[in-house]
Amino acid sequence: MSGGAFEFLKALIVEDNPQMRALLRALLNAIGITTVYEAIDGDQAFDILRDRQPDLILTDLSMKPSNGIEFALQVRNSKTSPNPYAPILMVTGHTEKHRVEAARDAGVTEVLAKPVTAQSLFSRIAEIVEHPRPFVSCPDYFGPDRRRHRSKDYAGPFRRREDFENDLDIR
Amino acid sequence: MTVMKRGRKSPDKKIIPAADYPALLPPARRAQALRLLRSNEMLDKANRVILMKKAELRGAVMEHVERIEAAARAKDWTLVFEMAHEIRGLAATAGLAATGQIANGLCRYLDTLNLLAAAPDVTVTSLHLDAIVRSARTEDDAARYGATVADQLESLVERKLGAIKEAATS
Repeated sequence: MSGGAFEFLKALIVEDNPQMRALLRALLNAIGITTVYEAIDGDQAFDILRDRQPDLILTDLSMKPSNGIEFALQVRNSKTSPNPYAPILMVTGHTEKHRVEAARDAGVTEVLAKPVTAQSLFSRIAEIVEHPRPFVSCPDYFGPDRRRHRSKDYAGPFRRREDFENDLDIR
Repeated sequence: MTVMKRGRKSPDKKIIPAADYPALLPPARRAQALRLLRSNEMLDKANRVILMKKAELRGAVMEHVERIEAAARAKDWTLVFEMAHEIRGLAATAGLAATGQIANGLCRYLDTLNLLAAAPDVTVTSLHLDAIVRSARTEDDAARYGATVADQLESLVERKLGAIKEAATS
């Protein structure tokens, strides 16, 4: 089976560990993504992003001097970002709740916990292809809608401020 | 009093539907892409790729194991955390599942203590470090004793963190 569906895509891997970079590159190559750029931290990644304009970004979280959260914030919010809507898949060993929330609040599209398996990586990419999320733009956030599942049938309770504002705006 | 109906947006919030920004793939290629990503043939191919990288990944884990031992001797807990974090990320893919599980437990312990600004218990850290070193060097995997040790250390971390959190809130 050829990887024709992905052959025109350009990917960027941002990872300071050379073995993990090589593994991710090999897995992307396996599905037919042959144009793969590599960076070892967020600053270098942003330079490549501006020069090469990749379609898909895989980034680690912990890197120095600039980490994956800072890079994601730049992708989403910098005036010089060529594609603020680029899907960002954070591949990280940091599964602690506060770190996952920080990634989500920086505008990361999907989080993939290490250890990486082919199945877990491919299922995240499939999610990005099959269910692209609406983006939210507000004063303190720009990125994929963090409310992943919006059920039309959900009858409450509504606890968020915006739910309240949308229902009854008391002035 | 003005009543807004459900569905009206806050004036400072804008929703951009997925159809209004560039998609990763054009619609004509999506079905093909999904078939590819979900095919057993592709998974087998990718798993063979991982298998070919195993020895290289194991070598990297062993380098991190040496560095974590040195960091522990120097009581450099920041570096211990960083090395444990690297090990947990690589070990399972390198076929060292128990080593990865133990490193994950140590990360969780040190990360929580860092958030609470508490010092690590030397018994907890040395038991984890010893188990990481032994399980990696004996090429342990989930099917051998390492998994049992990893489970026991996870229980120890749970108890210790529970006690620390209780003391912090009482």
